[in-house]
Amino acid sequence: MNFVRLVVFGFLFLSVVYICVSLYSRSVRREKLEAEWEETRPEGIHRDAFVKEGMKEYETGLRKRLILLVYIIPLIAVGAIIYFVN
Amino acid sequence: MRNFRRAVRITVFLILALWLHYVMPQRDIARVTSTEVVRTDFSALNRIFFAQADTGATDNPSRDLRFINTERKATYLFGLIRGGNQTMVYRNEDTGWIYPPYFKFDSADLQAEAGAAISTAEPYDWVVITHYGWRIRWLSIYPNAVSIRPAPSEEYRPIPWGNIIIYIALIAGALFLRAMWRQFRERTLDPLADRAEDRMDHVQADFAERRGRVRRWLDSWKSK
Repeated sequence: MNFVRLVVFGFLFLSVVYICVSLYSRSVRREKLEAEWEETRPEGIHRDAFVKEGMKEYETGLRKRLILLVYIIPLIAVGAIIYFVN
Repeated sequence: MRNFRRAVRITVFLILALWLHYVMPQRDIARVTSTEVVRTDFSALNRIFFAQADTGATDNPSRDLRFINTERKATYLFGLIRGGNQTMVYRNEDTGWIYPPYFKFDSADLQAEAGAAISTAEPYDWVVITHYGWRIRWLSIYPNAVSIRPAPSEEYRPIPWGNIIIYIALIAGALFLRAMWRQFRERTLDPLADRAEDRMDHVQADFAERRGRVRRWLDSWKSK
């Protein structure tokens, strides 16, 4: 029963962490894109379009998928603790 | 107000530090003198300092507790200073799946290991006992032994690699949390506040304008 509780609440907690981290990561990327546009001022590309294009790239990139590590690292940590303690 | 905030901050920090001191693993150099099992009835006061029944069993108001009686090297100042020998009693309970997250299920095996390590005649066999928790005599609470392994010598001083890694991870997590909060404030809260302030300014300007108009109209009735 405790195991079920751990899985359910652990999953909920990690989901909250996942959502927060992905919002943060997206926000940082957007800020970087805005700064990049300010610096380079590409001809004929509007600021919003530039940021939108960059965000589309981010959505399909590796960096976004790396946030899934939020679930994987605790799983590995728990597995390691169980192995080493018992 | 500043003093109040400082007091709150210090209290939170102290509680956090005490909690970490309670749950983080510590290692003692000890020699096992005996092991025993004691039927224990918990009180409301000391119940939170004990874990639950063995992982596969159900929890009853009272149960048998495994104990490991030892003589250990006393330590002071978080283990930096070594003292003489001192009696220490460890309990040996499953922490199970929940809290604290040691995921210890093998307390029966640990008891067997402790029994095998009993050393009452010189030369003594010293062991490293990893444990967490406090021994507080007036509360009848005991640190929970997590693992036992032979110590190379009586003077052996283990380096707490596990604690180092955990503390680095905790600090990194706290810094990350702060970065996240700052980003959220800079990109979400501040623009919102700015917009609200802006709207407030508009409303006030509008109001002042209208009042000015009324005042002017009133003024037009005054005799010059």
